[in-house]
Amino acid sequence: MTTHGFETKAIHGKTPKQDVHGAIKFPIYSGAAFHFESAEAIEDAFAFRKPAHAYSRVTNPSVEAFERKMNVLEDGRGAIAVASGMAAITNAVLNIVKQGENIVSSGAIFGNTYSLFIHTLKGLGIETRFFDVDKPDEALKKIDGKTRVLFLETISNPKMNVPDIKKLADIAHEKNIAVIVDSTVTTPYLFSGKAAGADVVIHSSTKLISGGATGIGGVIIDSKNSSWSGFPALKPYAKFGKWAFLGRLRSEVYRNTGAAMSPHIAYLHSLGLETLALRVEKTCENTMKIAEFLNNQSQVVSVSYPGLLDSKYHELAKKQFKNRFGGIIAFKLLNREKCFDFINRLKLIKRASNLGDNTSLIIHPASTIFHEFSASEKEAMGVTENLIRLSVGIETVDDLISDILQAME
Amino acid sequence: MKLKINGKTEDATEGVRLTDLIVQRGVESPEMVSIELNGEILEKDRIDAVILKENDEIEFLYFMGGGAK
Repeated sequence: MTTHGFETKAIHGKTPKQDVHGAIKFPIYSGAAFHFESAEAIEDAFAFRKPAHAYSRVTNPSVEAFERKMNVLEDGRGAIAVASGMAAITNAVLNIVKQGENIVSSGAIFGNTYSLFIHTLKGLGIETRFFDVDKPDEALKKIDGKTRVLFLETISNPKMNVPDIKKLADIAHEKNIAVIVDSTVTTPYLFSGKAAGADVVIHSSTKLISGGATGIGGVIIDSKNSSWSGFPALKPYAKFGKWAFLGRLRSEVYRNTGAAMSPHIAYLHSLGLETLALRVEKTCENTMKIAEFLNNQSQVVSVSYPGLLDSKYHELAKKQFKNRFGGIIAFKLLNREKCFDFINRLKLIKRASNLGDNTSLIIHPASTIFHEFSASEKEAMGVTENLIRLSVGIETVDDLISDILQAME
Repeated sequence: MKLKINGKTEDATEGVRLTDLIVQRGVESPEMVSIELNGEILEKDRIDAVILKENDEIEFLYFMGGGAK
């Protein structure tokens, strides 16, 4: 299977067991529990001596089928699917960071992730220190003996920074810090977290992976880069060696906090993987054309898209993301009023809070996803009042450009 | 010789290799199984070299996919 191309792996994956009816699409096992032939058999299952499913919150055949596909695509040690991208981040961090320890994170990240770090995790005694990913040495200054995680987004949402992930991973690994990379907007098709040095790769499968915003989901993949020794939170699982991260997650943190992916979502997201390569190619092609179009419009103050030749991230993004640049454009108009007028006049592009749908989506981040933050916090995250975020879909690109043009006139 | 396999004492051929034991016992989904030998999880690249001794304790564990509760 490792000799096959991405598209083949995305379709064929590595299903755990042949379906009893030979169904090509692995079925949806929607029920909560599973019958065992004997008390001894269920005892063995609970002692981990049988590869059997007992309760769907913990493991489920349909969810496992999706996990296996994701693991094959990321070439990881193992994957755990969860209820959402935010659940993926929360579970991954709580798995390796204890009270009194800290995270060093890119300062330009998704609003809810930022809120998780500065409110929720802070309340649990986990501190987050932010740095500018354009200045990797700043990360070094924030790290101390209790830093356990370096958190990055492959392309920050919506500031559109592209971190030098390999360089930052090298800095983190010198200090035995785990690198967690949110690759939602790049997917395993464009970005290999393992090759770049990520120890854990996170996805919101809600986005590009889902095949058209089919439902909310998330995935955590151990990319095999870490041996997981030297993390106090994983000490009770030391006997599992390199499996300590996944072992604690599956049998404790994930299991006990219960953010299980629904088998129905697992089925839909498995299907989504089958067309991921095609959709990402079309999305990237459309986005490039629209970014270039916007760059030539007099009403547009600036365009942030790493695919543009004048983007300071162009060469780095080209190298990291296999000569593609993703499907998100952040651009600025004169002011908030112009942004609202423009957004309101669109007829094809939908006004919605999501990314990576087949449908193009638009939003004014400052008044929505980032509304809860102060002006200075928004500014630090690159969210100004005149900023618009466009998630480009796979429609006919001329139709999208026509929609934008008529909304600007 | 005697081995303890998944909590039960069983007879085994003297000097049996771990990889042979996996085949003899028909261990389910061998590509998924983690092997604990005398309390320590073995790395995959060490398994081929293991020759079992009297009273060794082996656990065949599946804690990633189905089976983790």
